[in-house]
Amino acid sequence: MNTPAAFPAPDAKPDATTALTPAANSAAPALAAKPKVLEEIDWASKHYLIVDDFVGIRQLLRESLRSLGARNIDQASSGGEAMGLLNKLRYDVVLCDYNLGEGKNGQQVLEEARMRHLLMPSSVFVMVSAEKSVESVMGAAEHQPDAYLVKPITEGVLLTRLNRVWRRKQIFRLIDQAFVEKDYLRAARLCDEQIAARKVHEIELLRMKARMLERSGQPARAREVYEKVLAQREYHWARAGLGKIRMADGDFEQARQMFQTVIAENRHYIDAYDQLARAYQGMGQHEEAAAVLERAAKMSPNSVPRQRHLGQAALRLGNVPMAEKAFRKCLVIGEYSIRKAPDDYLGLARVCGLKGNTKDALQLLLLAQREFGSEHEHIVLRAKITEGHVYHESGDYLNARRAGDELDAMLQADPGRPGTAICIEMATLLFAVGVKGTPNEVLAHVIRNNHDNTLLQDEVQKIFDRARLSDEGALIIRTARKEAVDLMNQGVVLWKTGKLPDAVKWMRKARERLPDNVRVLFNAVQILISHMQQRGYELELEQEARQVLEHVDRLQPGQQRFAQMIEQLGALQPQPEPARPDAASATPPAKEGEAAAPHA
Amino acid sequence: MEDSHHSPELFLFLASTAHDMKNSISVVSGTLERLLDGASPETEKAYAQMAQMLYQTRRLNDNLMQLLALYKQVGKPGYPFDVQPIEVGQLVEQVVALARVLLESRGVTLELDVDPELIAHVDEDLIVGVVSHAVNNALHYTRDRIRLSAREVDGDLEIRVEDNGAGFPPALLAAGTPGSGDSGVNFLTNSAGLGLYFSGEVARMHRHRERFGAVRLENGGPFGGGCFILTLP
Repeated sequence: MNTPAAFPAPDAKPDATTALTPAANSAAPALAAKPKVLEEIDWASKHYLIVDDFVGIRQLLRESLRSLGARNIDQASSGGEAMGLLNKLRYDVVLCDYNLGEGKNGQQVLEEARMRHLLMPSSVFVMVSAEKSVESVMGAAEHQPDAYLVKPITEGVLLTRLNRVWRRKQIFRLIDQAFVEKDYLRAARLCDEQIAARKVHEIELLRMKARMLERSGQPARAREVYEKVLAQREYHWARAGLGKIRMADGDFEQARQMFQTVIAENRHYIDAYDQLARAYQGMGQHEEAAAVLERAAKMSPNSVPRQRHLGQAALRLGNVPMAEKAFRKCLVIGEYSIRKAPDDYLGLARVCGLKGNTKDALQLLLLAQREFGSEHEHIVLRAKITEGHVYHESGDYLNARRAGDELDAMLQADPGRPGTAICIEMATLLFAVGVKGTPNEVLAHVIRNNHDNTLLQDEVQKIFDRARLSDEGALIIRTARKEAVDLMNQGVVLWKTGKLPDAVKWMRKARERLPDNVRVLFNAVQILISHMQQRGYELELEQEARQVLEHVDRLQPGQQRFAQMIEQLGALQPQPEPARPDAASATPPAKEGEAAAPHA
Repeated sequence: MEDSHHSPELFLFLASTAHDMKNSISVVSGTLERLLDGASPETEKAYAQMAQMLYQTRRLNDNLMQLLALYKQVGKPGYPFDVQPIEVGQLVEQVVALARVLLESRGVTLELDVDPELIAHVDEDLIVGVVSHAVNNALHYTRDRIRLSAREVDGDLEIRVEDNGAGFPPALLAAGTPGSGDSGVNFLTNSAGLGLYFSGEVARMHRHRERFGAVRLENGGPFGGGCFILTLP
C-alpha cells in the first residue's frame, strides 16, 4: 500500500525548535512554520480509518487528516462497523475512540484486529479517550495501542504523536519482525544495535530486550537488563520484571515483596496485581491471591482473562458468590470480546452445580459447545468432564456415573488426548464416579508426556492413592516413565551413530506416542537440525521442525532450547541474496555441547 | 473502591458527561482554529471576536481538564500517572502546535529557547497540559511576546514561560512562591489559582529518587513581565 518512510535523519527536529536558537530570538519567526515533519513522512498517501460514535469528532478528525493531505479516509461509528471495514481493507492508521457506546469498545476492536491479523505490522493504531485510563498505564497489557490520545484532540498533537509512532515503528521494524518469527535471540541483538544509535528510545529498547531474553529462557541476562534500567530510574515495569524472574526461580516471597513495592508506588500498574496473585498462588496462599485479583478486577474490570483468573481462584477457594460474580462478568464483557473462552462457561457451570442448580449448568455447557464447538479442540470432552463434576458435586451420583461412562466411551472412540491439566481433571472425575481402567490409561499418558517432571508424578501418585490404587499406580508411573526414556534414548543412539535418516524416522514415531513430551519434541527438532546441518537444507524438514517447535512453545513457553533452535533454523536457511551479510553473520552458531546435542 | 467515595452511578454519569463535553469542546475549538487559520483581520470582519472565542474556549477546556484531573485526584495515588522518557523537543512541539492559531490571532509572538534533544521523564499529557495552560495564561498578561525556554539546571529540567506584560498580580505571586503554603489564593474566588494549584500538584507528582518537581512564579526575567517556572527532576 505504501513504502515506509525513510528513517528520519538523526538530527531531525521539530521545525519550531530548530528555527529558534537563542541567536534567532530577535528575529522571532516563532509560529510562522507548521511542523516540518510533513515532509519526512508521507501522510497524504496513507489509508485511514476513524472510529468514533460521535459524528462531530469524526468530522473534526477527518478535517485534521485532510489538512495533512490525506485522501483515503474511512469512518465507522461503532466497533462492529469498524471490524467490518478492518476485515475488508488494510489500513495504515486507525484512530479509534475507546468509548463506542453499545457493542465493542475500542480495546476490543484492537484486540480482535490484532488477534485476527487484520492490522499490518506497520499499521498504527491510536486509541483516543476522554480521560486518561488505567488501561493506558498498565503497560503490560498484551494488546497495547501504538499511542494513546486524550481528548480534546488537536491537529498539532495528533501530528506530533503520529510522527513519533511512525518513527518508533521504523526503529522497531526489524525487532518486531524477529519477534513475530519467534527468533527472540535475534530480536534481543537487534535491540542492542538500536540502543547504540537511539538514545531517546534506549529505555524502551532495553525493555524489549529484557522481554526477549525472558522469552528465550535467559532470566539471568534479563535480570541484568532490568537492574541496569533501575540504576537509572525507578521504572515499575523493570521492578515488576525482576519480580517475575524471582517468581520463575521459585522465590515467591521475594517476588511478592517486589510486586507490592510496585503497587505501593503506582496503584494503577495492573500487571503487578496479576503477578502478585500468581506469587501468592505459588506460596499456596489462595485467599490472598483471590483478594488481590478482586482488587485488580475492580480497578480494571473489563479484562476477560483477569475476571476468569479471579473466577477460577474463587472456585478453588470454594467462594461461590465471588466465583459467580467473576464468571458472569466474563460472559457479559466477553460478548463483544475475542478473548472469551469456553473456560468462562465451564466455570460458571461449576458455580451453578455448586449452588445445586444443575439445569442452568447443563444449559451453559450446551451454550459453550454451540459457541466454541468449531474453534476449540476437546470442547465436547471438556463439557462432559464438567457435567460429571456438576452432577457429582450436587450429589446426583447416578447421573455423575452416566456422564463418566459417556466420557469413557468418547475416550475409547478417539485416541487423541487433551493437555495435561485437562487429563488430570478427567482422571480425577473418572475415579470419583467409579469408572475403572480408562483413568489409569489417561494418567499413564500424562506421565509419558512429562516423564521428567517429578512434581507432577507426585500429584499423579496422590490421585492413585485417593483411588486406593497406590501400588498399581506406582507401577503405571514407572512403566510410563521407562517407555518414554527408552523411546528417547533410542533416538539419541541412532543420532550418535550417525544414522540420521533413521533417527528422524524414529523421532517421528516417538512423537506420535509422546505428542506433548517437551524433551522428546526438542530432541526431535535437534535431530532434524543435525540432519540438515550435515546433509543439506530441506524445506520439508525445516517446516517439520518449526511445526514441532510451535507446539512446544504452546506447551511450555520461554524455553532456552526453543530460542536456540529457532536461531539455528534461521542460520540454516539458504540466503537468497548474498547481499545481506548482516542477517547471515549476525547469527552465530549455537553453543556446542548442552544445547546442540539431543538430551538423553 | 476506597478512592471513590461517591456512588459508582454518579461517577459513571460524570465521566460520560465529561466525555461529551470534551467532544463538544474539541469540535468548537477545532472549527474555530480552522476558520481563523484560513482568515485574516482584513478578510474577516469577525476575526477579533473569533480569536476571543478561541481564547475563551481554550480557557474552558483548560478548566475542564483541571477539574476532571483534580476530581480524579491528581497528586494522589488514584490518578493513573504514567512517566515516560521523551525528548523535550517533542513536548515543546505539542505546546507550540496547541497555541499556534491562538497566538497568531492575537498577534503575539512565541519565542523558543529549547534544547530539543534533552530527555525529560514526564507524564506527557499532564506536562503538555500544564505548559500550554501557562502559555495561555501568559497570553492574558503579555503585551506582544512570550518566551518558552527549556534547559537543564543542576540535573533538573527547567521550563520557563515568560511574557513582557506587567507581571503577575501580588496575590497570585504570593501563591506561586514556595513556602507560602496554602494561604495564598482562595480557589473559591480566584480561578487563576486553580490552574496554579493544578500545575503544582502535577509538578510534585514527578519524582526521581529524593527530588520532586515544583512550580513557582516570578516577575522580571529577560522580558520584564511574568515568569512561570516549572522544574522537573
